[in-house]
Amino acid sequence: MGKATGFKEFARQTPGYEKPESRVRHYNEFTQPLSNDELAKQGARCMDCGIPFCHQGCPVNNIIPDWNDLVYRDRWAEAIEVLHSTNNFPEFTGRICPAPCEASCTLNLEDIPVAIKTIEHAIIERAFADGLVQPEKPKAATGKKVAVVGGGPAGLAASQQLARAGHAVVLFEKNAYVGGLLRYGIPDFKLDKQVIERRVAQMKAEGVEIRTNAHVGVTVPVSELDAFDAVVLTGGSEKPRDLPVPGRELAGVHFAMDFLTQQNRRVSGEAFDAADILATGKKVVVIGGGDTGADCVGTSNRQNAASVTQIEIMGKPPVMEDKLVTWPKWPNKLRTSSSHDEGCDRRWSVATQSFFGEGGVLKGLNCVQVDDKFQPVAGTEFTLEADLVLLAMGFVHPVHEGLVDGLGLDKDGRGNVKADTVKYQTSNPKVFAAGDIRRGQSLVVWAIREGRQAARAVDEFLMGSSTLPR
Amino acid sequence: MKNVNPAARISVKLVSEVGVGTVAAGVTKAKADHVTISGFDGGTGASPLTSIKHAGSPWEIGLAETHQTLVLNGLRKRVAVQVDGALRTGRDVVIGALLGADEFGFATAPLIAAGCIMMRKCHLNTCPVGVATQDPELRKRFKGQPEHVINYFFFIAEEVRELMATLGFRTIQEMIGRSDLLDVNKAVDHWKAEGLDFSRLFHKVETDEPVYNCETQDHEIDNVLDRKLIAGARKAIDTKEAVRIETDIHNYDRTAGAMLGGEVAKKWGYAGLAEDTIHIKLNGTSGQSFGAFAAKGMTMELEGEGNDYVGKGLSGGKLIIYPPKISKIVAEDNIIVGNTVLYGAIEGECYFRGVGGERFAVRNSGAIAVVEGVGDHGCEYMTGGVVLVIGPTGRNFAAGMSGGVAYVLDEAGDFAKRCNLAMVDLEPVQAEEDAMEKHEGMTNDLEAHGLVDVMGDMTRGDADRIQALLRNHAHYTGSKRAHEILLNWEYYMPKFVKVMPVDYRRALQEMQKKAGGR
Repeated sequence: MGKATGFKEFARQTPGYEKPESRVRHYNEFTQPLSNDELAKQGARCMDCGIPFCHQGCPVNNIIPDWNDLVYRDRWAEAIEVLHSTNNFPEFTGRICPAPCEASCTLNLEDIPVAIKTIEHAIIERAFADGLVQPEKPKAATGKKVAVVGGGPAGLAASQQLARAGHAVVLFEKNAYVGGLLRYGIPDFKLDKQVIERRVAQMKAEGVEIRTNAHVGVTVPVSELDAFDAVVLTGGSEKPRDLPVPGRELAGVHFAMDFLTQQNRRVSGEAFDAADILATGKKVVVIGGGDTGADCVGTSNRQNAASVTQIEIMGKPPVMEDKLVTWPKWPNKLRTSSSHDEGCDRRWSVATQSFFGEGGVLKGLNCVQVDDKFQPVAGTEFTLEADLVLLAMGFVHPVHEGLVDGLGLDKDGRGNVKADTVKYQTSNPKVFAAGDIRRGQSLVVWAIREGRQAARAVDEFLMGSSTLPR
Repeated sequence: MKNVNPAARISVKLVSEVGVGTVAAGVTKAKADHVTISGFDGGTGASPLTSIKHAGSPWEIGLAETHQTLVLNGLRKRVAVQVDGALRTGRDVVIGALLGADEFGFATAPLIAAGCIMMRKCHLNTCPVGVATQDPELRKRFKGQPEHVINYFFFIAEEVRELMATLGFRTIQEMIGRSDLLDVNKAVDHWKAEGLDFSRLFHKVETDEPVYNCETQDHEIDNVLDRKLIAGARKAIDTKEAVRIETDIHNYDRTAGAMLGGEVAKKWGYAGLAEDTIHIKLNGTSGQSFGAFAAKGMTMELEGEGNDYVGKGLSGGKLIIYPPKISKIVAEDNIIVGNTVLYGAIEGECYFRGVGGERFAVRNSGAIAVVEGVGDHGCEYMTGGVVLVIGPTGRNFAAGMSGGVAYVLDEAGDFAKRCNLAMVDLEPVQAEEDAMEKHEGMTNDLEAHGLVDVMGDMTRGDADRIQALLRNHAHYTGSKRAHEILLNWEYYMPKFVKVMPVDYRRALQEMQKKAGGR
């Protein structure tokens, strides 16, 4: 329970960052971890609430007060055991999760939540350093074969859980490396790709067979899945939202994910066969005010863009939320990421009406201020100069062509694969769906949750019962 | 209770369980104004999980039994039946009324309306929303408004009204005890309830009498001795002028002094009056609870003998009891007060010339007492105050004693055998070596009641303290025993044993260290 009065004695402390002017010169992670003494104090701040709101705030229901207490008491080996019991990949969530747990922390009523994410990060890094993350091989093989299609966080979590239950798991990945958006979408400076590799090494040792460059429905025929007793679709929600305004076809207007994936491949030395999209020396406008937009800002600055502007159609959210209304739920508030601190102009309530250019090359955007119903306000039109526009407006639904349509699966009203969150079963009884492909674009931590729960559902489907956690 | 504050409604809270109806009937006959049937669902944030989960039974069971028993015995009109235990909605209120409740207790739900988030930290002074804490920093975090609670109860009332309209009732009274209107099929037909017989729970006792609280209890306190005492002390109560009253007392005069104490407290609060402002001299044998809750400024001198529960909840008064001067009995060999004397006393002084009964000074938290011998279990669960026993004790002395000190004159040298040493140490009483040292400790005493001589630093000054008490005792009661000990102090002093609770000493020493560090 930490220390009963810890929250009154110790101030909230989160890791520092390398200074913006030096960190924009490289693509490495730049957080500066806390000392063990400081971490113990942060753990002591947890008050073991009678109703631990963080349990529900966290999508994987991490048993947060328990490991906060174990860190406070310097019992790190037990801490990783508790942490791993609900979360397959704390090294991912410890880095890039927006931490809804901290939003729901009782101390967040005063805006000083326990540094849960920092502690989570510290527990798993220490566990790796101490050699506590070892393969957990199944006691016996079941003889069942399961295909997992899509190597993002949902697919990785499902594969690991199913392999541990004794099933023969084949993980199909269309790219050269697994990880999905963890690998190709999130920039290296937020998540070092070595972090994925060391986890994949554990999974391989546990018996997960990984087939990369295997795009089911494109380079691998869908019929190959017939050989498996069950199939889990974890292909994500990769269809980007487009902006069909005049001038969209101009050279220089790109989807954010085309831009980000190139840079990640560049860093890891992976070849790609498309023209370079680079921000170097350019005036960059990022359309979309979310996390992908922020990643575009950070990457553009590292590529030495001449200027970076981020526009968002929604109004500027309040700096401080009304806790009595929002807590313990995730509040809508102004969020300034480390990428924003590296330099960018942010504007809200801005809609793009058209792009303009010369000779087929982008020169700028015609914009207008909008009201809270996204209707243009007359007389507020303005232009933004731009050589590169990155569309970071989210994803509408999974790509249907190939896999989803090839299996002939039912879809929900949003174009996601239809399945519930109990059985995760699609309209094809032996095909299951989890993660963004089922729920639409969301957080890594939700993908991990769905991957775990779907693994249990599959295990139950194959064996009649399951001991995997839900 | 009723004596201390005749205007108060006295409530008795009973845990809902099988057999509670009988208890409730007894309590009603004993003149309780309300009976609260408390179900197992609730529980404070400070209670241990085991108590929350495993104590009591549903309020519905206890309430139904209580109502039926009271109606059967013609007692229902006299008492208000309350129910509590996780009541949340208007529906709960209506079901409670139909099962026989007049009044309804809500705690958790309105607390939540005011901002409680059920941290279960009420006992730790760390409530992060400032509800259950005295910490000024944490109290700043309290965001509740009275309107939040008002709003909640409006919703409750509105739901009750809607349900009453559906059932066709105009008043709560009509509804009380109408268990025939409860639709139980949904609950009883549930597969989990198969084989259970609920008919007794929903049984309706037929009677022509009203089945709700419509009469008041006759507490029989209109002509008690205290009315006379209050009349005699009126001047003192109103103007602080000293008065002296002398009257006879009989064993049917129970709880003598309590109502007077209540009057003093009502007018002057806990501070009361100056010492001996109201001096009451009584002759005879008192009833039970002599001097209960006596307030500061009251001195009750009884020539005769006490009964059980003398000085119960003593709140600053002074009690003096000695045998009749003409009596030929040897005071120190005879019982002067009964059992459970000074139960839960807070403050005050007592001098008993004679031997006390069992459980002397049980749960005493601050009163001073001198007695010439006690029965078994002396100073049980004591948490504060000073007890001086100048005679033999029974067994199991100081069981569960966590505070205060006791001095026992151990002439036979076998006190250690009769003392329960689980929580206390026995120390010798030593003469003061340095008068200066003795005065030093008086500023940092644990409970500064102004009785500096006696209630000073409990870790030392023992010999002086005993002598001061003995002098008082001899002065007030004419005790020959005290006189003799004082005369032969050098002989008797080494025979005194100090009973010191281990944790109490540790706490005192820590506080001294802190004070010294300043």
